[in-house]
Amino acid sequence: MFTNKSIDFVWIQLMLLTLLSAFIAETADTGLAVIIIVAVTIGYKGRMIVDHFMELIHANRYIRASMRLYFYVIPLMIVLAYLFPETIVRMTTLR
Amino acid sequence: MKTMDAAITADSAQIGRNTDSQTLPAQHHVPGGWPIWVGIFSEMTEFAMMFIIYFIAKSHYPELFNEGPTKLNTLAGVLNTLVLLTSSYCVAKSMQAIRRDDTTACVRWLWLAIIAGGTYLLIKTWEYHWNETMGISKDTNTFFTVYYYTTFNHMLHVGWGSAAVLWAIFGVKRGSFTAQSHGGLEAVAVYWHMIDLAWIVIFPLLYVLR
Repeated sequence: MFTNKSIDFVWIQLMLLTLLSAFIAETADTGLAVIIIVAVTIGYKGRMIVDHFMELIHANRYIRASMRLYFYVIPLMIVLAYLFPETIVRMTTLR
Repeated sequence: MKTMDAAITADSAQIGRNTDSQTLPAQHHVPGGWPIWVGIFSEMTEFAMMFIIYFIAKSHYPELFNEGPTKLNTLAGVLNTLVLLTSSYCVAKSMQAIRRDDTTACVRWLWLAIIAGGTYLLIKTWEYHWNETMGISKDTNTFFTVYYYTTFNHMLHVGWGSAAVLWAIFGVKRGSFTAQSHGGLEAVAVYWHMIDLAWIVIFPLLYVLR
C-alpha cells in the first residue's frame, strides 16, 4: 500500500482527498463517522507526503518513524478530543 | 558531534548514488542533513502545540468551535490546500530533475512551486480581507483567535519557505547543486514539505470539523 508510487499518482490522490474533505465540510454534520473519516484522511495524506514527497520511505529510519508517528498521533487526538471533551475540560481547568 | 558530522558527510556522499530507476535517493540517508531536521522537528512541535491549544479550546467552547467553521470561507481553505499540495508536488519533481542533472527542469519545477506559494499567500490575504468584510476578526471569539493565530503563523512559514525556494533556484542556476551534490536543495525541499504537512492538519481542524 505504501511502497514506491509515482509521485504523480500520489499528487492526484491528495487532490481528490482534499475535495472529499471539502464535500464533507459543506454537506455533512459532524458525527463520529465523519470525525473518523477526517482523521483517517489526515493520517493518509500525511503518510503519502512523508513517504513519497519527502522521500522518507527510503531514508533514515528514525526520521521516518518520527514523522509517521506524528500522523498517527494527531488523527488519534482528533478522535479522542471528540469522544472525551469533558475529560479534556477537567484536565485543563484551574481550580 | 564528530559522529553527527561523519553521518552528514556519509549521507551527503550517498545522495545521487542511486540504484533505483525512479531517481530515488540512497537508502538510510538523512534528506538535507541533520541540521534541517532539528528545525523541522522544532516546527512540527510548535504546530503540535497549536493543535493541542485547538483541542483544549474546542473542548471548553464547543458551540463556538461548531459554529466557527461555518462562518469561514471554505472555498479559500480548499483552494489553499490544493495549491500547497501542488507546490509540494512541484518541489518533489524538482528533486527528481536535479538527480537526473536536468537543471532546466529543476528550475522550472521550483518556479512553479514559488508561483503556488505566492498564490497561497494571495488567497490567504484575500480570505483575511473577506473575513473583515464579514465582521470577523481575531477578537470575535476564541475560535477566531485560534484560527488567526494558527493560520497567520502558517502563512509566515509559507512566506519564508518561498524565499528559501527562491534561494534554491539561484543555487541551481549558479551550479551549486548537481546530481552528485544537492544537499542544500534537499534541505529546502523537506522544509517546504513540512509546511505542507502542517496545513494538511490545519485545514480540516479549522474548516471541516465542527
